[in-house]
Amino acid sequence: MTTVNQTAPPPAADAPAEAPVSASAHVPADVPADAPAVLAEISAMLRTMLDEYGLDDIEVTMETRFTEDLELESIDLVTLAGSLETRYGRQVNFAEFVADLELDEIIDLTVGQLVEYVVAARER
Amino acid sequence: MAMIDTDHATDHDGPHTRTDGVRLHVQRLSPPDGRPPTATAVLIHGLLTDSLASWYFTVAPDLAAAGLEVVMYDQRGHGRSERPGSGYRLDTFVTDLERLLDRLGITGPVHLVGNCFGGTVAFAYAMRHPERVAGIAVIEAKPATESWLTEISGILRRVEEELVVHEAESLAWVSAHRGAHTARLAKSAARLVRTTTIAEDVPASRVVSEEQVRAVSCPVLAVYGADSELAGQERWLESVLPGTRTVVLPGQGHSVLAEAPTRIRELLLSWIDEREREGEHGGHTATRTAAAALEADA
Repeated sequence: MTTVNQTAPPPAADAPAEAPVSASAHVPADVPADAPAVLAEISAMLRTMLDEYGLDDIEVTMETRFTEDLELESIDLVTLAGSLETRYGRQVNFAEFVADLELDEIIDLTVGQLVEYVVAARER
Repeated sequence: MAMIDTDHATDHDGPHTRTDGVRLHVQRLSPPDGRPPTATAVLIHGLLTDSLASWYFTVAPDLAAAGLEVVMYDQRGHGRSERPGSGYRLDTFVTDLERLLDRLGITGPVHLVGNCFGGTVAFAYAMRHPERVAGIAVIEAKPATESWLTEISGILRRVEEELVVHEAESLAWVSAHRGAHTARLAKSAARLVRTTTIAEDVPASRVVSEEQVRAVSCPVLAVYGADSELAGQERWLESVLPGTRTVVLPGQGHSVLAEAPTRIRELLLSWIDEREREGEHGGHTATRTAAAALEADA
């Protein structure tokens, strides 16, 4: 599945030749692959979104639930999916990640589940 | 996230300039591995508590995986699209869809898939632009008849009373009985009703006569939950549009898309697949044009 994000920059055609072969062509070289660093980045994305709702001082941990704790609605998760793909490349495909989950399970997702998915997807 | 300004020739995050135009949030899913799509499906969500997320987290990924180009958008006032203070009659929603497809350069006939009010938009679009529609599939929906208007007006009046006048009590009840996420959606719906003229505008929509519904020329699939208030609607639709395929799902209510996504996905996939095959074998004219347009695109 390919998510077409119309505002995302096109993959760099002039990527440096010394870039690791395993990395996707459109993933920036500075992207972290370990869980604590990914958690920090996803927390920052969430804080930006929550800021728009005036809820910017909530602590985000691996156990934080998107709906119950952060009061996000499903459309916010779609927005987050776009941010994840822009940051981590097309290997991180939120739509594919949730395709096997029921709506209730998606609503009950924790930040930790998403962090683990991102780390695993980056290692593929 | 792509924002499409229905009044601008550009599709970036620019501000809108005219009052009748609005910025719409669009998400597209394409078939895997860069395969050319077999057809385009445009998914249209319902009123108030709905957004494109209802498609994104149910049937959309599988439709794309099956080879379709999937276009989802948040209707004006909903999700991540702009929420203008006024302009919520049905015709305006239909014009939004028209301009959106123009902006995206989708000119060939598409398959419209509408949930509830989204289905009403699909019917209205098919009446306005028969040449641009290969088929419509509606879930828990009916065309904008006099009875539709009476029902939706009643719902909006009730919402206005419960969610706007008694917002705190209503939200507490929803949270306790329907869970945090539904309460969150209800909160957004309350904001939409409170800050816009939607509750006055939708009931002021132009209705269509039975004759106009009879003139719908594209194939129609209509799915209902057997326990929904719309149950029985399928018999009326069959009498007015004899070619309509109707499906009534036992044990399901109005939120059948969220409750039975697997069944809905199967119904949509086989429906669209059959329409496209018909097109290949010289069936429905619009579908044949769709296949030709897609070949030209590929």
